[in-house]
Amino acid sequence: MQEKRKIDFGFRNKLNAVAEGFRHNYCYQCGACVADCPSHNYSENFNPRLILLKAILGFEDELVQAGSEIWNCTNCYTCAERCPQDVRPVDVIIALKNLCIKSGKAPEGVERVAESVISFGITTKATTLTDRWRQELRLAAIKEYPVDELKKIIKGE
Amino acid sequence: MKYTPFFGCMMTTKYPWFEAAVRRTFDKMGIELVDRDGFTCCPDPIYFQAHDKMEWYTIAARNISLAEEAGYDIITTCSGCTATLSEVNLALKEDAALRAEINDRLKRIGRQYKGTVNVRHAVTVLRDDFGMERIAGTVTRPLTGLKVAVHYGCHLLKPSRVMRVDDPDRPTILDNLLKAIGCEPIHHDKTLLCCGRACMDNSISDQMVIDILEDVVGSGADCMGLICPTCFDEFDTGQILLGRKYKKSFNIPVVYAFQLLGLAQGLAPQEVGLQHHKVKMDKLLNIGA
Repeated sequence: MQEKRKIDFGFRNKLNAVAEGFRHNYCYQCGACVADCPSHNYSENFNPRLILLKAILGFEDELVQAGSEIWNCTNCYTCAERCPQDVRPVDVIIALKNLCIKSGKAPEGVERVAESVISFGITTKATTLTDRWRQELRLAAIKEYPVDELKKIIKGE
Repeated sequence: MKYTPFFGCMMTTKYPWFEAAVRRTFDKMGIELVDRDGFTCCPDPIYFQAHDKMEWYTIAARNISLAEEAGYDIITTCSGCTATLSEVNLALKEDAALRAEINDRLKRIGRQYKGTVNVRHAVTVLRDDFGMERIAGTVTRPLTGLKVAVHYGCHLLKPSRVMRVDDPDRPTILDNLLKAIGCEPIHHDKTLLCCGRACMDNSISDQMVIDILEDVVGSGADCMGLICPTCFDEFDTGQILLGRKYKKSFNIPVVYAFQLLGLAQGLAPQEVGLQHHKVKMDKLLNIGA
């Protein structure tokens, strides 16, 4: 028999405080987001309607963790096209990801992109090959990135 | 017609020939690109947005504020940059409280987001400003009869509330560009399927890419034509990796739409970097011979 899970409507307040997280309150569980969701079509374990339901019921332990299904969202935005309530399930999923990262529960590697942007100003770094290719294509060399400005607006340093 | 180009990370470092293709084709059409120094990563709409949405808004707003100083609309050439800059620009234009919060952060470096420019994908400039009907006039070597399996990718079209580019379920913008340069655009069952890149579980995304590639093979297309460097990654290098992993062979060349436009406008394959693709396309590589 399936274990009974505790409903925690308090989680709503937590999610409401994250950018776009409040949208989960609009969800009336119609399931319009499901049929054209590519991750759902390739894996029954991924279901945007059920992710929203878990958010509404406050199943925080399932959603806010490194192994959560939310990380299998492809960010294709088809659910946002289909949703009649403007929940934009993908945006709620992104808010849940923000919560994961804030509580140190992101899957390995996820934070590498953010670290690279804040430290170097870029995600895909130039290599010696880049310089050679750009010369060959008669493109200007890549300039320095204003990393000091990023540090100030992100970290206040 | 003047614009501030935003080429982003991937198209400047990993696939600089895509940047070259955009610059050269715009030059052929007399559309001026006024470069602006000081841009950083857009930042990345998947992992950076997952990291912290407020930080994502802030860095994107800084990039947009640089373009605002020059006064020209931003044109983007990567679907990821298009997604980030379009969404942040709209969110900050619509939400005064959010705008004030972000501007508080930008004040630390003496900048301000004003909301005075638009963010547009380069391909919309061809359709809405230059005019698709005028493209044919710039073509000196039509790619007559080249069968191109179109792949729109997600972020050029969706969310349509933000992107405002085309009908996300029945898009025509790339089809019309391809037709203007003599190609025959081909649709198949998986034309609008996501490339799966952002999905953490590779067993899901691998199968998406394989299904698309197999559909392209079945459609009889000569190549795939797409608009996003991340999709390109998934289908060019990706088909080699997946071929090894799953013991399959696809042999489908993958080409960026502005490379095809450049070839039709008489550019040599090397000028748009076609020789650097993992899956080589003899038919186009020998076009100048």
